Amino acid sequence: MTPASSTIIQVACVVLLAPFATGMVRWAKARLQGRRGASPLLPYVTIATLLRKEMVVSPVTSWVFHLTPFVVLGTALALAALLPLMSAFGAFAGHDDFIFVSALLALGAVFLVLGGLDPGSAFGGMGASREMTIAALIEPAMITTFAAFAVASGTGSVSGMLAVGGAGIVAQPALIASIAALVLVMLAENARYPVDNPATHLELTMVHEAMVLEYSGPYLAMLELASSVKLAVFALLLGNMIVPNFLLVSGIGAVGVLLAIAVAIAKVSVAMVLLALLESSIPKMRFYRMQEYCAVAFLLAFAGLVLTVTQVLV
Amino acid sequence: MSTTMIAMGIIASVVGVALAGLTAIVGRGLRSHRIAQVILAMSTAIGATVSVAFLVARHAPLAVWSFPSLYGMTFVLYPLGAVFFALVSTVACAASIYAIRYVADHAAAYRIPHLNAATAVFVLGMQGVLLAHSVIAFMLAWEAMSIAAFFLIMADRAEQSIRAALTYVVVTHLGAAAILSGFFILSGGNAFVDYATLVARAAGRSPTQLLVAATLFLIGFGSKAGLVPLHGWLPEAHPQAPSHISALMSGAMLKVAVYGFMLTMTLLPPLPGGFGIAVLAVGLCSGIAGALGAAVNRDIKQTLAWSSIEHLGIIFSMLGLSLFASAHGLAALAGIAAAAALFHCVAHALFKSGLFLTAGAVVHATHTRSLEGMGGIARRMPMTSVAFLILVLSAAALPPFGAFYSEWTFLRGIVGTLHAADPLVLAVLVVTLCASACIGGIGIFAMIKLFAIASLGQPRSDGALHAVEAPRLLRYPILALAAGMLAAGAWATALFRLLGADAIAPTAARGNLVAAGGTISPGVVLGILLGALALAAVAGRIASGRMRFRSAPTWDCGQPITAAMEYTATAFGAPMRFFFRSIIQHHKVIASTPVVATNAYIRTRSMTLASRMLSMTYIQQPVVNLLLWKSAQLRRLQNGAIQFYLILIFIALTATLVLAV
Repeated sequence: MTPASSTIIQVACVVLLAPFATGMVRWAKARLQGRRGASPLLPYVTIATLLRKEMVVSPVTSWVFHLTPFVVLGTALALAALLPLMSAFGAFAGHDDFIFVSALLALGAVFLVLGGLDPGSAFGGMGASREMTIAALIEPAMITTFAAFAVASGTGSVSGMLAVGGAGIVAQPALIASIAALVLVMLAENARYPVDNPATHLELTMVHEAMVLEYSGPYLAMLELASSVKLAVFALLLGNMIVPNFLLVSGIGAVGVLLAIAVAIAKVSVAMVLLALLESSIPKMRFYRMQEYCAVAFLLAFAGLVLTVTQVLV
Repeated sequence: MSTTMIAMGIIASVVGVALAGLTAIVGRGLRSHRIAQVILAMSTAIGATVSVAFLVARHAPLAVWSFPSLYGMTFVLYPLGAVFFALVSTVACAASIYAIRYVADHAAAYRIPHLNAATAVFVLGMQGVLLAHSVIAFMLAWEAMSIAAFFLIMADRAEQSIRAALTYVVVTHLGAAAILSGFFILSGGNAFVDYATLVARAAGRSPTQLLVAATLFLIGFGSKAGLVPLHGWLPEAHPQAPSHISALMSGAMLKVAVYGFMLTMTLLPPLPGGFGIAVLAVGLCSGIAGALGAAVNRDIKQTLAWSSIEHLGIIFSMLGLSLFASAHGLAALAGIAAAAALFHCVAHALFKSGLFLTAGAVVHATHTRSLEGMGGIARRMPMTSVAFLILVLSAAALPPFGAFYSEWTFLRGIVGTLHAADPLVLAVLVVTLCASACIGGIGIFAMIKLFAIASLGQPRSDGALHAVEAPRLLRYPILALAAGMLAAGAWATALFRLLGADAIAPTAARGNLVAAGGTISPGVVLGILLGALALAAVAGRIASGRMRFRSAPTWDCGQPITAAMEYTATAFGAPMRFFFRSIIQHHKVIASTPVVATNAYIRTRSMTLASRMLSMTYIQQPVVNLLLWKSAQLRRLQNGAIQFYLILIFIALTATLVLAV
């Protein structure tokens, strides 16, 4: 197996798996709340339906509105190609520098914000203002978290950091704080509880949904897919940080590839059930308490970094 | 290009700029205005070209011009000066092309000959500072630049502009006094020495004297660069000038201050690490203050001015870390931080001047500077807004644009050095990393707010409703600067090498940037982004077939949406104002008064919101109050009796003689 083919397999699997991740978390949440819940495969049907529809576009919008879905999906695909999700030796291994990765996430958030503001609705503006605030405040926590991993592993590329994430977590107990910070960062980046309520269509609680409110048809499908891909990417990344096994390697056969795909599905499913458990057990925070959440994430990341760098001193 | 040709080119550029000023002041009418601007554009283009050629060829320092009879003044082109010479000339070239149409359209507001002459003196002063090789030449050119800027700020003679210009002139002269004192301490009171002599004399000074001199340089150049706590004048002064002058001030003049600081640091013998920490602290505080100020501001040009404070803070924190690292024997990190600072100077010069020119075009079209009165610009000015977005993303340090790589180099350099064994070094690096990340995050918020609130949604004023695309002569310089940011990103490696940072852009790394063990390839970054965008486009098209659009109003909950319902800059920045309310104090007054006294139900409501920085309340205001109080006391001396003044002069002269002997 060559690096290029492993990357192609990875992108294809992540994109195909992404709607399942969204469906899975919805289904698990429904089960935990005593409802029967829709099939985890429903998002595939939703996206297929959206793709066939005609789009309704507000006359207020400009070229920014039309550019947004492509950039948002593009950044999600770039993350799916860059990060070590199913293969740690992909075509872009070594190019997935953590500062670039967080800048990519910021780029996606920025365009969502622009797309949300373009139709001139107050909902979009509210979601955009909130999303931009969260993205701005969570960025330092993300950089600091990744910096701790970078120091511990001696490399800035996320692929290289995997080596410490799993086997090293026992050897590097300092990183537990960083892992906790990473979880908080991921919840914020994916607009999940307690930062945002992904199931709502009620204005006062909306962040992500408010920004995509004016999108319809294929554009909406692209934005939905992008957010699903981001969710799956983070689930796999966190999974690999804890269990960096069963990845695609160079000498792997057909059985190995199938095993890697099965393990990826398992990782995503477990992560989504855990997410559903979390979302069923905690309430959403008021938006105007978000600075506390971001401060906690930042302090955890800071603690992780300080503990990691001081290890060289003792 | 041979050294003779480069020297000739530099002289031609300087003489051309002087000629442009002369043409402006001698001629009358728009025709001479155009000629003056064309001469200015051509001569600065020559200056930019030859200084880049000088950098590419890596020539040794080149004596350009020498006046032995005039206090032995010499002008020498150094590699460091050449970088800034190229910057100043590029920005001045774009600004003068822009000015051809911009000033002509505002002919009623300005006295055009005076404005153009002051502009030429301003550019000439900046070029002079960069070429100067002796203290007297440096200070003369510095004063020419500062005083010309004073006249440029109050070019429209509005009351607000005059007040801003007066604040500016006080701060800038305190700064100039600090710089001159610093030079005097080093040279032993002689202003006529050249830099080589200065270095030799500085070596003989005591560590305390050196520290005092360095602190004076930090105060002098820092006040010019708008660093906290001497930043208050900048958001007042820069926006009051005509937009092409704002571009020159933020894009070029602030860089001249950075050059001055870098130059004086090379003149001084190595300083203790504590001074580096002080510079770093000032830089980081300015970065945070500037980013927050930009995040909550509601005026397009003031937001940009606050963002200049932020970016100058970033540059000074890079320089501070470089000084700190070299004092602690971390030569690699010192090199990385210094190169990142230089790269960030280039990036900031390009995007900030582009943004000010864009702001000028937008204000020109909408007749308002307030973001609250804009909206819908992207639809009405598509070309300008594309450049606007590129420049804004550059200012937010997002890939694939230039400024991302200075940030990457800096952060990566810090992370790569975090295995050092000295606790102090570790503490400084960790704090710098976290603070820089905070600045970056808030900076993104500020820039996106600027673009989104100005350009998207419905127009919120008549001016914005009737805005039309900017004329070509305004658009082209903006587009060129945006293209420059894209190129600075795509060829970041080549740019680092041009700036002399061979350690970051080694030839062996095949186009990759290398900083403290980390690598990144600007080409691959651009490729990944473009490839992913193309993939998304192709996938979207294939999956959905032919995209069909229908136009229908924005979802309005059954009641028509008006522009008044839109999110404004005030609303957009509300979370930031709330979260950082201990730093940015704001005062909101909601007044509700009955329209007629007899009917209490029909009322008119108004909301005013004033915000001020913590530093304003606790640092600037007490100083201002103290000065006013002292001046009031001193006023007793001003009793109008000429004999009394003569006695004062006599006492002053006697005291000087006694002190001197």
